[in-house]
Amino acid sequence: MKKMTVRILRFDPETDRESHWETYTITVNDGARVLHVLHTIHDEIDPTLEYRYCCGSGQCGSCAVRVNGEPTLACMEEARNNSSIEPLKLTVKKDLVVDLIPTLETIASIKPCDELVMPKRSEIDAMRPLKDCIECLCCVTVCPAVGVTEFPGPTMMRQEMRLALDPRDRADRVTEAVKDRLFSCTSCQACWKICPKGIEMPAKAIERLRALANRKGYTLPRHQEVAALIKETGRSVPRTGPTFLEQVGEVIEPYGPVKATVGFFIGCMYNMRQVQSALDAMEVLRRNGIRVIIPEEQVCCGSPLIRTGQLSIIDSLKQRNIETFRSRGIDTVLTMCAGCGSTLKNDYTTPFEVMDFNEILTKYGIEPPARLPIRATYHDPCHLLRGQGIHDQPRKLLRQVVDLVEMPSICCGSGGGVRSGVPEEAAALGARRGEDIAKTGAEFVITSCPFCEFHISGHTDRPVRHVATVLLEGYQKQDRKNCSCKKE
Amino acid sequence: MLADETVDCHTLVIGSGGAGVRAAIEASCYGDTVLVSKTIAGKGGCTPMAEGGYNAVLREQDSCGIHEEDTLKGGAYLNDPELVTILVNESPQRMHDLLCWGAVFDFTENDVVAQRPFGGQQFPRTCYAGDRTGHEMMTTLMERLDSTNADVMQEFTVIELLKDDDSVIGAMALDERGNLILLKADSTILATGGTTKVYDISTNSASGTGDGFALGYRAGAELIDMEMIQFHPTGAVYPYDARGRLVTEAVRGEGGLLLNSLGERFMKKYDPERMELSTRDIVAQAIATEILEGRNTEHGGVFLDVTHLPREQIEERLPVMLEQFLKFGVDIRTTPMEVAPTAHHIMGGLRITPECRTTLPGLFACGEVSGGVHGANRLGGNALAETQVFGKRAGEFAGKSGTRDKRHDGTQVSSTLGHLEAFLSGSVNPALVRKELQQAMWEGAGIFRTASTLEKTLKTIDRLSGVELRAERPRNLAECCIVRNMCLTASLICRSALIRQESRGAHIRKDIPPPVWDAKNSPFGYTYISRVREGIERRGTGS
Repeated sequence: MKKMTVRILRFDPETDRESHWETYTITVNDGARVLHVLHTIHDEIDPTLEYRYCCGSGQCGSCAVRVNGEPTLACMEEARNNSSIEPLKLTVKKDLVVDLIPTLETIASIKPCDELVMPKRSEIDAMRPLKDCIECLCCVTVCPAVGVTEFPGPTMMRQEMRLALDPRDRADRVTEAVKDRLFSCTSCQACWKICPKGIEMPAKAIERLRALANRKGYTLPRHQEVAALIKETGRSVPRTGPTFLEQVGEVIEPYGPVKATVGFFIGCMYNMRQVQSALDAMEVLRRNGIRVIIPEEQVCCGSPLIRTGQLSIIDSLKQRNIETFRSRGIDTVLTMCAGCGSTLKNDYTTPFEVMDFNEILTKYGIEPPARLPIRATYHDPCHLLRGQGIHDQPRKLLRQVVDLVEMPSICCGSGGGVRSGVPEEAAALGARRGEDIAKTGAEFVITSCPFCEFHISGHTDRPVRHVATVLLEGYQKQDRKNCSCKKE
Repeated sequence: MLADETVDCHTLVIGSGGAGVRAAIEASCYGDTVLVSKTIAGKGGCTPMAEGGYNAVLREQDSCGIHEEDTLKGGAYLNDPELVTILVNESPQRMHDLLCWGAVFDFTENDVVAQRPFGGQQFPRTCYAGDRTGHEMMTTLMERLDSTNADVMQEFTVIELLKDDDSVIGAMALDERGNLILLKADSTILATGGTTKVYDISTNSASGTGDGFALGYRAGAELIDMEMIQFHPTGAVYPYDARGRLVTEAVRGEGGLLLNSLGERFMKKYDPERMELSTRDIVAQAIATEILEGRNTEHGGVFLDVTHLPREQIEERLPVMLEQFLKFGVDIRTTPMEVAPTAHHIMGGLRITPECRTTLPGLFACGEVSGGVHGANRLGGNALAETQVFGKRAGEFAGKSGTRDKRHDGTQVSSTLGHLEAFLSGSVNPALVRKELQQAMWEGAGIFRTASTLEKTLKTIDRLSGVELRAERPRNLAECCIVRNMCLTASLICRSALIRQESRGAHIRKDIPPPVWDAKNSPFGYTYISRVREGIERRGTGS
C-alpha cells in the first residue's frame, strides 16, 4: 500500500461557473493505476466525483483523461504521487466526464457493397494496424490542426484510410478525406505518440491518403510546384544566393584531435536558406573534434514529397543520397535538419547510421562554452522530438550556455506541407506558438530545425536561433575571455 | 424527478454489447427501434474486451454436428439442445454478416477466415482478429448500427421493466442527472450481459453487474441455472488492482503451457488427453487445486508460459496480451505470466425459447443474460457466436411482434420513485456494500462451494440487501440501483447453487460426493428460480 496526493480538476455544471482543482490524499495498492485512484476517491472520500470507465484493461477507450497534462487511459497509466488529473480537452459534462459523442459521430462508417467482395489476406494485413483504434479520442485532443481548422482529427483519417483499403466499401474515401482537410495535418506526430495503441496515423493513414489523393489529382498546387522544383533542380527551394555546399570544401577538419568522422547531409533549407546556421554548426563541430565530409552531389531527401503524397521520384532521390554516402565508405551520417533526419531515419533503409547534430555532440561531449546572460526557451521541432525521440540532448547542451525555460512541446505549424499549402493554418499555429513564447518571458527562442526557425521568426518578436549558433556564441565569449586573460 | 417526455417505440433493446447491438440492427428492419445503453454504446459490456474468438463451422472437414457435440459435452449436457442446434447452425451465417459489414478477421494465406484451436473442441474453429476479436466485432456492429434508423440513448441506466399486468411494455431508466424516464415498447429485449462483477475477482467490464437478471426476476420472469458461473482459468494475479484481468484462452490455443511452482505441467494429472486445451471448468479447477495445495507462484497463481513460442507469433497473434503485460512490467516473450482463475461468465440466465422469448409476454432476452445455450460450462468462442446468433433472433422476433396498447401501471412508477426518494435519504455508502458483497461471493460462491459457504454468503447478501443505500445526489441514484441489482442477482446465484445438489461442469459442490453418474446421465436438469417458484428439473420428467 502507498499513500499519495493527487489534484483533480472538478466541475459541476449545476453549481460551478468554472472548474477548480481539488487535492486528495489517499492510500492505494502498489501498482495501482490512475483509475484506482479515482475509484478510491469516489468510494472513500467523495461519491460525487464523476469519471467514465468500463473495461478497465485498455480495450474500450472510455477512461481517457489528462495526467500531468498528457492524455492517457486512466486504467493503464500507473498512478504517481503529486499527479494532476484533468479531463480531455473536449466539452466537459462533469468533472472528468467529457462529451465524446459529437466527436465519435464524425468517424466514418463503412458503406458496404451489395455483394460481399471477400478481401484478400494482403488487404486484411494492410487494414489490421489501422483497426486497433479504441476511439478514446486522445489523438483528437492533441492534434494542433483540430484546434485551428475544421480538420476532424487523426483517427478520422485513420478510418478513411482503413475504408479506402477495404474492397467491401463502396464510398470514395479519398475524396471524402480531401474534403475533410486531409492537407491540414502538419505531420507533427503528436497523435501517434499519444495513441494508447501506438497507431502510426501520420505515416500509415495521412501520408497514404495523400498519395492516393495525388493519383486522383488532388495534390495542392503549391505542393506540385515544390515537386516540379525538386524534379528540375534536386532541391525543394529556389536558389537565392550562394549555397552552403558552394561555400565549403568536401572535408572540414577539426581544430584538435579527431574524435569521429561523419558525413554531412545538409538538406535544402540549410543549404539554401539558413546557411549561416549550418556554417555555425560546422564551426561548433570543428571545435569538438568532429571531422565532417560533405559530398557535393547530395540532393533533397524527399521529405516534402513523402509528406504530401508525391512519391513518383522518391526512390531515385533515396538511391542517389544513399549512394553518395555509401560510396565514400561513410558509416555515420550527420543531419541537422529535423525533417531530413527523421526522413533518413524513418523513411529510408540506410547502410549507415544517421545521427542528429544534438546526438553527435552529446555522444562525443563538448568543450564547455562560456555562459551567456540569456534567458531562452527551446522549441522542440516535431521531427526531432517525436520523429527521432530527441528530447534531452539539445537541453543538455543548451543548459551549459543559457538559462533555459520550458514551454509545452507543440507544433509551430510549418510541417507537413502546411506552411505552403494551408498558409492560414500555419499562421494560426505560428501565432499560438508566439503566445507560448511570450508567456515564458524568454529573450531568445532556440530550436533545431530550419522550418521551425524560419516559421517561428515570423510569429514572435524574440530572436530565433539554432542550437549551434547559441553554442558558438558561448565559444566566442569564452575566446574573448581567454584573450583578455592572456593580455593580463 | 419524473421526466415529462416518454420514449415510445416498437422495439426497445436494453444493452449495447454484441447481442444488444446485433438485436437492434435486426429489429430496426421491422419498426422504430431504440437501443438504451448504460455506457457509451460500443464501449460497454464485455464484447469489446472479448479477446479470443468466435466459433463457427467454416471448413468441410468440420461439421455443425461436431460443434454441437463439443458444445454439449463441454456444457456437461445441461444445455438446451434446441438452442445449441441453433447456435452451431446459424453461427456461420452470422459470421458472414459480420464479414459483409466490414469486419477484419484474420485470414489464412488462402484468403479465407483463419481459425485456431480452443479448449474442448475437436476442430480448430475459433475465428479471430488477433486477440481483439470482440473489439473488431463491436466496431463492425456499431458501424452497421449507424446505417440503420435505430435511435441510441447513450448513458441511460435502465432500473426497472415497465409492466402492464403480466406483460412487459418497456422500461424505466435514469438519465445522468437522475431523472426517471419512461420507455414504452411493444417488445423489449434484455441484452444486458453478465454479472460476474458480483465477485471480487472478475474479468468483466464495469457493466457486468447483473442488472438484467434482477430486472427480469423482479418483473416475474423465470431464470435457469443461475449457479453456473464460469471461472476463467487464467486471470492476471498482479498487481493487486489488475487481478482478475482476462488472459485469453488464445494464449493456450497458441501453445501456452501451464506450469506450477515445481515446473510441472500439472494438467497431465487432470486431463492428460487435452492438457492445457481441456475445457475451462476443468482447467480452472486444476489451477485452483494446485494453488490450494501450495504449488503456487510468488503472487498466488501458476505459470502460463509462452516463452518457447517464436516472438513473431506472440507479437502477431497476442498483441493485446503482450501490451497489457508490458504495461505491468512483464515481457511475456521472455517471462512466464502468473495466472489464477477469475469469475468470467454466467451460463445461466433468463429462460428463453428459440425465438428468444422469456416467460414474460413482451420480454425477449439474448446473449449472456439468457440461459440454456452453454449448459454447465461454456466453450471459449461460443459466447461471441451466441451474441450474434441470438441477438439476431431476438431482434427479428421482437421486431415481428405486433403492436400493442401500452398502459403502464401508475403505481409501479410511483413505487419506483419512492425507492429512488429513499436512496436520497439513505445512510450507507453503496461502495462499501458492493465490496462486502464481492468478497462474500468470492469466498462462499466461488469455484468450490458447500451448502454452508453458500448459506453464509446468502446471509451476508440478505443483510446487505436490507441496508438503506445512500445516493449523495440524484446523479448517484443509478449507482444505488445497480448495487441493489448486484445483491439480488448474487442471491439468485447462491439460492440456485444450493438447489443443485450435484457437482456438474463449473458448479462444484464440495459437500456432496462426486456424482456416480456421468454428466450425460445425470438425473438433474435446469435449476429454475422466479418470484413464484424455485426448484430443479428432473431428467425425463420435465418440470
